[in-house]
Amino acid sequence: MRRLLLVPALATTTWCLACGSPPSTANDQSKPAAANAVPRTADGTPDLTGVWQGGNGRRGTWEEANSGLGVGGTGLDPSAPANPSSQQVITDAAPYKPEHAARVLDSFNKRGIDDPAGLCLPLGVPRLALVGLFPIQIVQTPTQVVILHEYMSIFRVIPLNAEHRTDVGPTYMGDSVGHWEGDTLVVDVVGFNDKGWLTGTGTVHSDALHVTERYTRVDKDQIDYVITMDDPNVFTEPWTVKTTLMLREGTRLQEYVCAENNVEMEHYAKILKDGVAYKR
Amino acid sequence: MSRPVFGVCLAVLMWLFASSARAHHSFGAEFDANKPITLTGVVTKVEWTNPHSHFSLDVKDEKGRSATWVLTGYTVNALYRTGWKKDVTMKVGDTVTIFGWRARDGSNSAHAREVTFADGKKLFYGPPSGTGEGGPTPAVKVP
Repeated sequence: MRRLLLVPALATTTWCLACGSPPSTANDQSKPAAANAVPRTADGTPDLTGVWQGGNGRRGTWEEANSGLGVGGTGLDPSAPANPSSQQVITDAAPYKPEHAARVLDSFNKRGIDDPAGLCLPLGVPRLALVGLFPIQIVQTPTQVVILHEYMSIFRVIPLNAEHRTDVGPTYMGDSVGHWEGDTLVVDVVGFNDKGWLTGTGTVHSDALHVTERYTRVDKDQIDYVITMDDPNVFTEPWTVKTTLMLREGTRLQEYVCAENNVEMEHYAKILKDGVAYKR
Repeated sequence: MSRPVFGVCLAVLMWLFASSARAHHSFGAEFDANKPITLTGVVTKVEWTNPHSHFSLDVKDEKGRSATWVLTGYTVNALYRTGWKKDVTMKVGDTVTIFGWRARDGSNSAHAREVTFADGKKLFYGPPSGTGEGGPTPAVKVP
């Protein structure tokens, strides 16, 4: 399992100490709902509907949670330092086979110049949900869950209790079906192409990728998001990572047209053509 | 600390994705974090566009010679949420000071982290240095 520690640690620690009560259950409906209780639909199913942010474990509105440096340094605090180094530290590694670990390392050493995101392509699952600069919106009905991603203006329609479709080719976002296991929404995703990255820089996969996502809303503000990525072509064993999606009440999704002015690809081409030193 | 609380905290500590949480493309490949720069000049052009915003700055040196610098920053979606307003926060003709990092190719181009306006107000314009380059450590063990 790949583990990253958020820095500054103080913020994380403070958040942890402020963690809420264990999630309520459907049996609690006869009692007055606590302020941080898990919202539920009429049949008692946890309701995931709302606007959420990945990559940031802080509670509060978008403005509150992204104060100071914020995710990617998007904070509103002008006294925050202007030149922080990376805010995250990897403490564990993904279980890649040696030949594919070399591919990951190559992209890392190229500082991600080959990131498919640079071409405005969809980021795939789970990477798209974890781009903290952009919110996602979940719309839940009894028969399907829809996830709207501001980044790249991508949608996922996840039918519940359905079979995978067989009439589509390999895709960037794969084909998703879901079902409820108790209070956890389990989403099974297959049908990927081999053109995306799973998480960070260079995290390649093949078209044999099988992703299992588990969404558990543990209180009003937080979904625990656990992702298992199984790809026998590139991994020695399935890779599981754990993170959160945090509720951002009051935030509304915007349009995002990546192809509007993507001049960075021209800059990259010039760097490569001119032999500019850019590698680690 | 109760078990549920500990579990949630553990999930947070198992944070991930140094680069995926950031921006559209690798700032680290294009701009050099070891070449910080501060510039003061007059805004001559503003590109309020995705995937990245840009503006041009007319900068004069100590001998009065002008040079045009191009600054790159966040997606406009992030700028809106960081407190910027199109055609209001920064306009052509405004004098601003930027802090950022120079392009690796030596051109008059930089990744702007922070903009200071004439009234002293500061706003982030772009992400931290090295954003998108994969963080300090690769996602695999290095042989």
